[in-house]
Amino acid sequence: MARTYVDALLVRASEEARLRGARLTEAEHVLLALAGEAEGDAPDLLAPAGLDRRAVQDALRREFEHSLGEAGVSVTDEEVLRPRESRRKPSDIGESGRRVLEVGMASARKRDLGPAHILLGILELKVGTVPRALALAGVDVEDLRARARARVDGA
Amino acid sequence: MEDAERDPGAELAAVVAMRKLADRMEDAAVEKAMRAGWSWSDVAQALGVTRQAVHKKHAKRLIEAGVRLRRRK
Repeated sequence: MARTYVDALLVRASEEARLRGARLTEAEHVLLALAGEAEGDAPDLLAPAGLDRRAVQDALRREFEHSLGEAGVSVTDEEVLRPRESRRKPSDIGESGRRVLEVGMASARKRDLGPAHILLGILELKVGTVPRALALAGVDVEDLRARARARVDGA
Repeated sequence: MEDAERDPGAELAAVVAMRKLADRMEDAAVEKAMRAGWSWSDVAQALGVTRQAVHKKHAKRLIEAGVRLRRRK
């Protein structure tokens, strides 16, 4: 676990970013990578909140449309609402992604850094796409955070 | 964050969304133009950028998408 888990997670997160045409690996791509895990703490914690990979994608799409609405823009063209995959991998990790890792690592002793710690890092975010998307999807972030915290403390 | 409509978080999210929208619209519109036989020069003029910029940004993607590109004139 530990280092190798985070490294593998980041590889999957950067692939999620590429599939969405993003230039940087951001927190939402880490969340998508977590939500795509087949077993373990990630699905154990995310499934009761109704969050699988598809649900996260839907929440991100909603956040996108909602934020366009903030600018007074309403789009019906499916072609531009759907993410477009890029040929290129993201060049770097973005600030929100960096923050997730930083907070996640701070909540773990080196050896047992796993999905629950990363999820805690994601749920600590106060601004940006992920908290907005989770709020719009009606996710009980407090409950999810409490369960992730319990998993981390129990581990 | 949920009550104040004009809080900075909402405004910044709107900026992010508009950039993303503009990028996707550009991709779709450039592809459409090139499929319709526009030259790089025409697309660059219409977008208000240099021909080099539009070529650099879109050529590989369009070639991979199987768009037949016009020879430079």
